Amino acid sequence: TVRPKNEVEQKQLCAFGEYVAEILPKYIQQVQVTCFNELELLIHPDGIIPVLTFLRDHTNAQFKSLADLTAVDVPSRQYRFEIVYNLLSLRFNSRIRVKTYTDELTPVDSAVSVHKAANWYEREVWDMYGVFFANHPDLRRILTDYGFEGHPFRKDFPLSGYVEV
Amino acid sequence: QTTGLVGLAVAENPHERLRILYTKILGVLQNIPKDAAYRKYTEQIVNERFDLVKKETDVQKLQDKLNSGQIEEVIVQAENELSLARKMIQWKPWEPLVEEPPSDQWRWPI
Repeated sequence: TVRPKNEVEQKQLCAFGEYVAEILPKYIQQVQVTCFNELELLIHPDGIIPVLTFLRDHTNAQFKSLADLTAVDVPSRQYRFEIVYNLLSLRFNSRIRVKTYTDELTPVDSAVSVHKAANWYEREVWDMYGVFFANHPDLRRILTDYGFEGHPFRKDFPLSGYVEV
Repeated sequence: QTTGLVGLAVAENPHERLRILYTKILGVLQNIPKDAAYRKYTEQIVNERFDLVKKETDVQKLQDKLNSGQIEEVIVQAENELSLARKMIQWKPWEPLVEEPPSDQWRWPI
């Protein structure tokens, strides 16, 4: 069986994506809607805090809930890490994804000032990928062992690590 | 007399509070260039809600017409919109794109 296509929701998401892109042309590089009706905004890294505050505070887009904050490692690109924010709007029952990029050495603005929930998620991204978050209140390792060296989720980190246990 | 939501007290005289907030928002929006999309759409939203608030004096019916949850939630939303408008003046998001991404950045599959 195949999931039936929901044309109405697709059109609504496309319209909302164009609305946001019209309001924030300074930071939004691309907007896409997947075939499963998921809206994605592709952002320049300088615009993380403006875009997230806009999505949280604006009346037409009350995305008050940060559901997830992750990173994707694509080593062949110039900016290898892609930071992904998943937001949920309780008022309008809809989700949106915001994506940014960075490389290993460039710091990224912390989303903690916008969403308190980003605190441990950003610690996890720092620990697992090595992406530094500027203005984070307490950026330290959260999942790896105390003296662990390396960032495990990177694609060039071997499966069984460098140290024998 | 309760909102039913934790942490939100019942607002006495919500019409007055909303009137003040919406006038403040419209005042802040005057500092943005006239052709910015943010100013256009926010003025539209605020004017619609303002007209509804001015016409309807009964709190229950106003809540139904606005169709946006409790009046106290509408007040919180207006305060958020005001702080957002003030931050927008500093960020100026209506300018053209800051920097183009590298050509292979958003290509998927790689």
